Amino acid sequence: MESVKDIKEALSARSRTATLDELRSEGRKRVRVIRAEHIAQMVSEAVNAAVEQSGLVAPEEVQRLVDKSRQEFRSILKEREQEVEHAREVESTLADRDSQLNQLKEQLAHAAAEMTRMQAEIEGLRNAYSVPAAAPAATGAAPSGDLLMSMVQEMANLKASLMHRDAQERAPSAPAASGAADFTAAIEKLSGTLNDRIEKIGKKMGVSAAVESDAPLDFGNLFKDDGGKTLESNMDNIEVKQKSGGGIAANLARLKKLKGGK
Amino acid sequence: MTQHKNHDQNHADNGADTAIALGKGLDVGTANLAAAVQSEDGGITVTVERNAFLDIPSDVYSKNMLTKLKVPYVVHNNKLVVIGEAAFELANVFGRETRRPMCDGLISPNEQDALPMMKMIISKILGEPRVAGENCYFCVPAPSLDVDNNVVYHQGLFESLINKMGYTAHAINEAHAVIFAELAENDFTGIGLSFGGGMANACIAYKSIPCLSFSVARGGDWIDKNVANVLGCPRSKATHIKERGIDIRDPKSREEEAVAIYYRSLISYVLQNIKTRFESGQNMPSFNTPIDIACAGGTSMVGGFIEVFRDEFAKIDFPIPVGRVFRSEEALTAVAKGCLVAAAIGEA
Repeated sequence: MESVKDIKEALSARSRTATLDELRSEGRKRVRVIRAEHIAQMVSEAVNAAVEQSGLVAPEEVQRLVDKSRQEFRSILKEREQEVEHAREVESTLADRDSQLNQLKEQLAHAAAEMTRMQAEIEGLRNAYSVPAAAPAATGAAPSGDLLMSMVQEMANLKASLMHRDAQERAPSAPAASGAADFTAAIEKLSGTLNDRIEKIGKKMGVSAAVESDAPLDFGNLFKDDGGKTLESNMDNIEVKQKSGGGIAANLARLKKLKGGK
Repeated sequence: MTQHKNHDQNHADNGADTAIALGKGLDVGTANLAAAVQSEDGGITVTVERNAFLDIPSDVYSKNMLTKLKVPYVVHNNKLVVIGEAAFELANVFGRETRRPMCDGLISPNEQDALPMMKMIISKILGEPRVAGENCYFCVPAPSLDVDNNVVYHQGLFESLINKMGYTAHAINEAHAVIFAELAENDFTGIGLSFGGGMANACIAYKSIPCLSFSVARGGDWIDKNVANVLGCPRSKATHIKERGIDIRDPKSREEEAVAIYYRSLISYVLQNIKTRFESGQNMPSFNTPIDIACAGGTSMVGGFIEVFRDEFAKIDFPIPVGRVFRSEEALTAVAKGCLVAAAIGEA
């Protein structure tokens, strides 16, 4: 089949296409027509005949070579198709990665914008209530881990400060309390918001408010099955190799001294 | 029991004063298990056994032969299981791989028979407690920087196993144990590195208090695996090449060249990770004077190790001033010795 295809391609490359009118204008009234399959067959027969006449290769060997060539052609064709498929897959993966990268860039930009907004908010609060603190300077760049950590710390301090002020403002007499009710509510709301933000940022940074139990895990049950079972062994009669080493008296004396001679 | 109580009380009061302190140290290593105990002459005795086993078909002839050759075996699931160094030697003779109860510094999840075999080896090297509930400090790796490993399960498992043997088990970080063994002259201030079979552990301590500890999941086994891959031989063969007394500064054959290449790569990897971790470390102490680095562990025993370590160290800009870089004179047993020091003093 490949030979027919090849011949078709060769014919196509080496021939021209002409309409019937064009042929007529060239003075041709009749044309001879031959199918590409017939040409392929003729070529094949001619080659076989030439090879047979040469006496160099046996007919069965010729057939074997033809089969082998076809097989190799198919194999190479398959490889090329696989390579093309692989290239398509790589291209697709690359496109996915590009898309992910763009998404991450957007998220980063969003986080940076959020941080800038929060810093401005904190700065505003600090100006309003004159809370002294050394906040890191806001920059347009993405926030680093240290910056985020210091932000969390600062926000926690600010929250404590606000709570303290709130408590102080609750202390004055009743007339003042009615006037400050709205202010207190606003502070509580702000405090709640800050608390949520601290939690949110903490979670993003892997700092969780969750606590782990100190109780040790008991894996004793893993050995309960072999409680009374003794395996047949000659271990009791085997001497294990022992090595002598330098003493530990000096180490113990040093440690004892470090611990204040306890 | 009263006697034990009195003995324990006496130990608690004068642990470091008595000539022979109670307590034992156990190095639970991926490649080797080592138990240390103070001997009567004031020195220490360390019993070492390879942490490996090999199963062979069980028949009377093999059993008799193993007994005659004094090769330790256990009959388990109708198979003869050869334990320890002998398993390693047999594996090399037959071109097989030993079975390993531990992998990458932790109990191996792929070895169903790991627990009974390890229990058998540990019982043998640790022996019976001298008093009921005698302290036994055993080493555990620090969490890894490069793999997600479950140290909690590993630690809990060995705590239970050792407690079941009549001891009171306490875990201590492997590299911290190196500091207890090797940096007494520096008041236990400095960096301890343990190059084991499955991992490399690092700890920085100030006056015996660990400030930062971590591990990387590369060690002697990583070298063996890669050498075996490039040479196309079993891993136990690669281990044998590594342990037959080569000098990684001067490899004499293609095999030794492969070992030297991967050794240098391992050392460089460990140092880079230590540097990065120290640079990014929170709560790192600041040292006014240079501190020493003590290396230990079976993987550090190869010839030329400390020289190559110094070469690679000189290539990086280490964030802490460093004085002496040395390898323990008893590299294979240093961790067990450190565990013993902790056990004798009752260090938590």
